[in-house]
Amino acid sequence: MLRLLTKKELQEILRSGQLRIAGMIVMVLTIIAILVSASYYQSIQQQHEEASHNERNVWESQDDKNPHSAAHYGTYAFKPKYPLSLIDQGVDKFVGISIFLEAHKRNEAQYMAAADQTGLARFGELTPDFILLFIIPLLIILMGHDSFTREKETGTLKLMKSQGVSLRLVAFAKWLGVFIPITVLTLCVFLVAGVLLGTLGNFGELSWSGLLIMMLVYVGYYAIFTCISLIASSLSKTSGIALVSLLAFWIISCLAIPKAATNIAELEHPYPTKQAFDEAIALDKSQGLDGHDPWSKAAKRLEEETLKAYKVSSLEELPFNYDGYRMQKGEEHEAEIYFKHYHKLKDVHNAQTGIYRKLTSLSPYLPVRFLSMSLAHTDYGTHWHFSDAAENYRIELQKNLNNNFADNSTYGNWAYKADKSLWADIPEFSYSPPELQDVVKQNSLNFAALSGWLIIAFAGLFLSTKRL
Amino acid sequence: MLHTENLTKEYDGQRALDKLNLSVESGDIYCLLGANGAGKSTTINLFLNFIQPTEGKAIIDLMDVSKEPLKTKEVIAYIPENLNLYGELTGLENLEYFVGLSGKKYTNEHLSDYLKEAGLQNSAHRQRVKGYSKGMRQKVGIAIALAKRAKALLLDEPTSGLDPKASNEFSELLVKLSNQGVATLMATHDLFRAKETGTHIGIMKSGVLVEQFGTEDINHSDLEKLYLAHMN
Repeated sequence: MLRLLTKKELQEILRSGQLRIAGMIVMVLTIIAILVSASYYQSIQQQHEEASHNERNVWESQDDKNPHSAAHYGTYAFKPKYPLSLIDQGVDKFVGISIFLEAHKRNEAQYMAAADQTGLARFGELTPDFILLFIIPLLIILMGHDSFTREKETGTLKLMKSQGVSLRLVAFAKWLGVFIPITVLTLCVFLVAGVLLGTLGNFGELSWSGLLIMMLVYVGYYAIFTCISLIASSLSKTSGIALVSLLAFWIISCLAIPKAATNIAELEHPYPTKQAFDEAIALDKSQGLDGHDPWSKAAKRLEEETLKAYKVSSLEELPFNYDGYRMQKGEEHEAEIYFKHYHKLKDVHNAQTGIYRKLTSLSPYLPVRFLSMSLAHTDYGTHWHFSDAAENYRIELQKNLNNNFADNSTYGNWAYKADKSLWADIPEFSYSPPELQDVVKQNSLNFAALSGWLIIAFAGLFLSTKRL
Repeated sequence: MLHTENLTKEYDGQRALDKLNLSVESGDIYCLLGANGAGKSTTINLFLNFIQPTEGKAIIDLMDVSKEPLKTKEVIAYIPENLNLYGELTGLENLEYFVGLSGKKYTNEHLSDYLKEAGLQNSAHRQRVKGYSKGMRQKVGIAIALAKRAKALLLDEPTSGLDPKASNEFSELLVKLSNQGVATLMATHDLFRAKETGTHIGIMKSGVLVEQFGTEDINHSDLEKLYLAHMN
């Protein structure tokens, strides 16, 4: 029976000229979006590889010099692109792609791709995630809004009911009638993306399991939208009313709630201004050890403690260059301050994320948006992860340089120059994003929200058939 | 085959049907006449279990419709005033679908035979129904009844909007089904067709069955007079 019902639904949908055209337009748009994205990311990836390679060359090409001069000379940590970012570019364009690593200072990521674009970019771009998150739900609405209302309007519902068929079965068949073509379309999109990503050599290793989970997330999203479209259709008297109700739902859940969530999150848990943030760090720094200032109270205290610890009466008697030692202690103090203040920023970020999570009960878009970005490694969480990795590398780099200075020279010998082989001995920065299982674990609440939506949507669909 | 016992339906305290008692036996064509709102469609909807009675019973083949809605639907076929079917499907596919819903399965050849029996030309069987006339769609409705081997037929103004030729063809099909023992209850405004096709006529007014008689007991002129007398 279900097969018969579903076959009829599929026949109707596939033979409808309007839906065929709409489906083809979506397919063409998706392919264009994937190709445009692939071309963009290939170019970005190439730039990234060139920049990383060049920067490493610059670092290793330094002559013999004082390690602390090299520390100030600095280097860059580049954030790599990951294959799934082709599908969802998330916040990548707005968070910067490289961090300058230097002595005494934790810098923020710079060179945002969005800064290189014109104001027209504000209108958005044709990207695969835009099609997946916004356009395909619209196609579902177009396909499903009149599923029941058309039957009511033409009287076929009465004829069907007169055959004694279960309306729940009819509803499920109608759900399959919309869901199957949409799933095939989604499968094609991900398959094309997967094959493309697999063949683009410089795109890094593609995680097929990540791609599969991402596809399942979107398929779940479409299952919810299909249920909601059918609920609206079963409760509405006419197709027009159903369409308007569903468009209103789409506007509220996909556009209004995410934007309102951003406003609420910012209102409830505002980030400090850049000025306030810098001032707070400067204040903390001034109250502690500055590696460059041997006359401060903190420096004097360190000097006394060090002399006492090594049981010597002058800095010259220490078995290392105290200048390098003080630099390192200063670095450690500053690093702590940066971690403390960045941790506060992270707390704000987590509090804002908490607001988003609460609002996932109002819109199925929100959990899907976050899951998609996380799986693509283009969310804020991954950016924080990268930023922390870069900072840890910076701390280790400074430690290497300061230790070299301290271990290989004597107190007051600022003329000491390390051999240039030191620069190449320092390992290159390499970054690995969170593992897939960690991403899944971190997003358990988003998965729960999506599952909750799915259960409620199906329950709503089956309950709504009572009104038919 | 089709019986009612004090069948009553109220909407917000207003009686749409008042203690209706009627019987349609196998082979009968019972035509219900009456103005709009007289209770004809309500009677049919109660037999279909689309609505629940306030009082009384609708009985099909000795089964209470309210108690055994699915079983009773197995033995009936229903043709509404506007049988639109699914425009994107062919006549054959529509027939296959609706017959399939009642649990029956036939080959395309068999289904084609039923369509032919219902009077639909061969060339139309594989055409999409969106190009059908109303008469052609009603024939698919009859084919559903034939294929379903329905014991009773419930028709809600099936000839309204049909041209005289199509209407006549439809009546001939009803007579054919009647000869096969199918009981038919038909709500209609068409006095001529009721007299020509029916075996019994009932006149309804404000939910009450005010007259019922055999079609052989009355001529066209008297039927019209009687009907108009009840409409005033």
